[in-house]
Parts: sequence; C-alpha cells; structure tokens
Amino acid sequence: MYQRLFTGFLLVVCAVLGWMAWGLEAPFSYEPVGPRAYPLLLLGLIAAGALLLFVKPALEGGDSAEPPLPPIMIPKLLLCLALLLALAALFERLGFVLSSIAFAYGMCRLFGGRNLQAVVVALVLGIGLYFLFDRILDVPLPLGVLAALEN
Amino acid sequence: MDTLQYLGQGFGVALSPNNLLTALAGTTIGTIVGLLPGLGPINGVALLIPVAFALGLPPETALILLAAVYLGCEYGGRISSILLNIPGEASAVMTTLDGYPLARQGKAGIALSISAWSSFIGGFIATVGVVIFAPLLATWAVSFGPAEYFMLMVFATACLAGMAGDKPVKTAVAVLIGLMLSCVGIDANSGVYRFTFGSLGLSDGIQFVVLVLGLFSISEILTLLERTHHGQKAIKASGRMLFNMKEGASVFATNLRSGVLGFTFGILPGAGATLASAMAYMTEKRLASKDNRFGNGDLRGLAAPETANSASACGSMVPMLTLGVPGSGTTAVMMGALTLYNITPGPLLFQNQPDLVWGLIASLFIANVILIVMNVPMIKVFTRVLEVPNWTLVPAIAIITSIGVYAVHATTFDLFLMIGIGVFGYILRKLDFPLSGVLLGFILGGLMESNLRRALSISNGDLGVLWASPISMTLWALVAFIVALPFWRAWRARKRTATMLPDA
Repeated sequence: MYQRLFTGFLLVVCAVLGWMAWGLEAPFSYEPVGPRAYPLLLLGLIAAGALLLFVKPALEGGDSAEPPLPPIMIPKLLLCLALLLALAALFERLGFVLSSIAFAYGMCRLFGGRNLQAVVVALVLGIGLYFLFDRILDVPLPLGVLAALEN
Repeated sequence: MDTLQYLGQGFGVALSPNNLLTALAGTTIGTIVGLLPGLGPINGVALLIPVAFALGLPPETALILLAAVYLGCEYGGRISSILLNIPGEASAVMTTLDGYPLARQGKAGIALSISAWSSFIGGFIATVGVVIFAPLLATWAVSFGPAEYFMLMVFATACLAGMAGDKPVKTAVAVLIGLMLSCVGIDANSGVYRFTFGSLGLSDGIQFVVLVLGLFSISEILTLLERTHHGQKAIKASGRMLFNMKEGASVFATNLRSGVLGFTFGILPGAGATLASAMAYMTEKRLASKDNRFGNGDLRGLAAPETANSASACGSMVPMLTLGVPGSGTTAVMMGALTLYNITPGPLLFQNQPDLVWGLIASLFIANVILIVMNVPMIKVFTRVLEVPNWTLVPAIAIITSIGVYAVHATTFDLFLMIGIGVFGYILRKLDFPLSGVLLGFILGGLMESNLRRALSISNGDLGVLWASPISMTLWALVAFIVALPFWRAWRARKRTATMLPDA
C-alpha cells in the first residue's frame, strides 16, 4: 500500500524531472553527448523500476527488515522533525550555543529523559560541544546573539 | 621485492608519532561508534571528515584516521550484539545469533575475547591480501580507458543489485536514485545548471557529507525514536574473560576460511561487510557436523561473521585504492574525503602517492594490533559506554551531525537539505530500499557520467567504443551474469516451491 504510494510518487517525480531535463541544452557544444542524455537515461531506468514495483508490489514484498510504524509514534516523529527544522532555522540566528541548548532539551524530553536530566544534558551539550568544536577542533560555529558578550 | 620495500616505507609513514597517535585515537573512536546502536562506520567516518579538515591534517593522516575508525567499528559492533542482542552496526547482525546466547549462558567474557581475536585474524588475513593484490591490480588497471572505467562502474552498480539478496529491483532503483542525485548542480562539461531549481545552495551539487549524514544519521535518529518503547538491558560480562587454547583451536579453521571469504567479498564492489558476514555464517553452518549448536551459542557461529566483517572492511580498500571504485559504503565516504583533498583515487595513486597508499596499508596492520590489545583488557570500559541512555546519546548525535554538515559550507541551507534527505532516506528505509545503494550510486555517479561522455567524445559519438576492448567485453559478460543471477534464483525458488507443493 505505502509502497504503491511511494512508487507512484517516484513515477510522477521522474516525469517532472524528465520534462525539466528535456530542456537542458548546452549553449556551446564540443562533444557528442550533451548534458541531458545521461540524466534522461537514468530517469528512464528509475521509472521502469518504479513502474515494475507499482504494478507488482508483491514482487519484493517479502520479509521486511523494518517493523511497521506504530501509529502512536507518528506525532513523536513529527515533533522530532519540527525540532530538527527549528535547530536548522535558529542555528545562525540565535547562535549555536542557545539553539542547541533548546534543541537538546526538546530531544532529551522526547527520548524519555526527565526534566532535570534534560536541563543538565542540554547545558552540557550546548556549551561543551561549542568549546570542543569551535575552540579545540577549529570548526567555526556561529555565536549569534551571544556574539555581543564576547568583547 | 618492490612491494616489501614500499611496505617498509609505509610503516615509516604510519609509525611516525603523529600518525600513530591518530591511529590510536581513530581506533578508540571507532570502537565506541561501532558499539553504539545508531551510529555505524558510515556516519562515524563522515562526521570526522570536517574535523580532519579543520585540524589541517595532511591527507595520509586523515586517511589513516578514517581507516582506523572503520576497522574500529567492525570491532565495536560485536560488543552490543553480544551483550544487548542489538547489532551496533549492520554487519554485526549475524554476530547476535550466537553471541547473545553465549552471553546468556554466562560466557560473555569468552564470547567477547574470542570475537576480538577473530576480528584480528580477519583483519590480518585481509591486510596481507591487500599487500599482495592491490599493487597487481593497480598495474593492470593503468591500461583502463574511459570506456573500460564506465563499464567497471556499471559492473559495480550491477554487483550491488545482483548480490544484495532478495530485493534486486529495489536495490537497483536505490542505486539509480543515487546516480541521479549526483547529477544535481552545474555540469562540469557544458556549464549547464541541472535540477538546481534556481537555488544557489544546489548550484555546486549536493555535498556528499550532507547526503551521507542525512541518509544515515537523520534517518537513524528517526528510527531510534520509533523504537523508544522497547527497552533492553545489557548482560553483565562476568566469569572468565579470556578464551582458552582449546576454544581458540576449535575456531581456528573457521577463522581462516571466513577471513579469505570476507576478503573476497570486500574486494567485490558494493558487496560489503554485511553480506560477507552473512555468507561466512551460512558457509560455516553448512560445513559443521550435524550436532552443531549454531544459533544456541556455537563459538564457530560467533567467529565466522566477526572474522568476515573485519576481513571485508580491509578488503574493500583494494578497489578504492586501485580502481577508484569503492568496495563498501564506508570506503565510498573515504573516497569522497580523498576527492575533497583533490586526490583522485585510482591506479595512478600507487605511482604518484606511494606514501599515502602504503602508509594507509601499514596503518591497517597497526590499527589491527592496537585494537586487539585495547579490546581485551579494556572491554569493561567499553561495556560501560552501553549504559549511556538514549536521551543523552541522541541529542548529542543530532547536534554533532549538524555541526558536521554546517562545517562544510557554513550555510544553514545544507542543514535543511540534510533534514530533507534524512526524511527521504527514512521513507526509503521503511520500504526496504537499501540506503547504502543510494550512497554508492551517488559517489560513483559523477565518475560514471564523465567517463561515459569522455569515451563517447573520443569515439565521436560511436557507441561501439563501449564494447571495443577485451576488458570491456569481459565486463559486459560479468554484468550480464550478475543481472541474470537474481532471475535464476527466483526461478529456482519457484521451481522448488512447485516441487514441494505436491508433497504437502
């Protein structure tokens, strides 16, 4: 069922990308194969595979390595995604330290940590990882609003 | 003997204080990464690339670090398999079958030490194999032209689909999706922007660190969350911590056979450690006498997959170094790291960068020795790591992953892209499309297209160039054989059920 949904989606994506790829023309060409042949070949092959799985989903249904998703977990998964997106959005604006403290607190609670545990984990990770990466390992991280404190 | 001389030179590189320290750090990190469920060699290696860059490590040191982590993961994966019945990484799945029953019988210490010993033998056999075969293959591969290269990559991708087990179509689609993702960005030959949707962030393509961490870290975090409701308690390693001579001797033949088998699977592009350990286990089970205890704590059932996965990890260095075609998902990431250093892996590497190649090979020997020395007495320390709860571990993994991605370009666009790829990867994974296929396709994609176009430029558009030389014709034959394999298997399975039905 889900597989059919996905392969159907894949077919639509292939069609759209194929239409886009058709328009790819090199303004000057020095070689017999332009930029569009290879992607079109791949899209054709993906579409063929997806079509096969769409028509006969039972072909490789077999024993699944992954257990099915319990419905109670869906809100939790969405919450996890929201947290990840929030981290990405605030990474530069708030700065690494503050955004990762907030993110770590949320994730810790989501994975079953208690309030106090989450506060400790968040503070240790946010501040500790900043010093580890920015100061010791020389990976520059944005300070964001905390930049004002630095000097 | 040129090889021995080069190997000596390699030991000179690998034994320099800096590189020795790097190998020590790498093996420690690798063991921890390997034993933590949710982190495997692929994310471990990918996360260290930005750090290696930021620290300004020279390429050979960086490569030694990554290889040490890779080998360490193969050692570490067994610990959680034996004590928790949860494989620390994919290739340790088979280790749970006999490792966990042994631990339940109070033989956890013996199981841990004998599996470490098996990993050591596997790694040692395979490294000797690398020393013998890599230079041979490299001298032979110099004669490869673009057409042969293209065919080699077709062979590599076909191998992945044909040998990945029971889902060839899904694997093939996964590889093709990876190949397609590598098309995103500016086309090097014509300067045309492909599939960038007008976004500046996509104009130079998807960064492979972003892809790897999205596919393997983000989707893993989602999977871990999904599994939060069943907890598991680790068995304490108690009793005798070291196996005795009799136990060691009883698995020695298994070690040798599985080591050779693992190395062979490691060389084959795309087959990798997971398949190697499964094959080794099956083979040993078939060879064992009728009264075997496989599945209930047979030492041979523990030794076989552990020997094979270490051997295959070392073996997969051979195609990466000599052909520039990765032998496994992790070597694909290592290859990506080399290209970041502007080094193109391939046959010329042996001529142009002997220090790098032989330093890496020598460091495999050294890392293996460090790991066995470290893993036996320090096993108590490592088992402690398993007690770290998920609510500390997962936020840490997520934040470190974000740092790794941000460090590549310092843009938050990459963070969003990583999350998008992660969700896509999670869906693929739930539907049984193998993610390592996407990764290998992505790494091979650029090379495959440029070699195809170069070959056709040379022949002026004549497709005949693709089967003009004996090498490419052999590769075509191999591809045909590999593609036919799943069909033959399906046909045989159908025939078997047909003959079984009348009996029922």
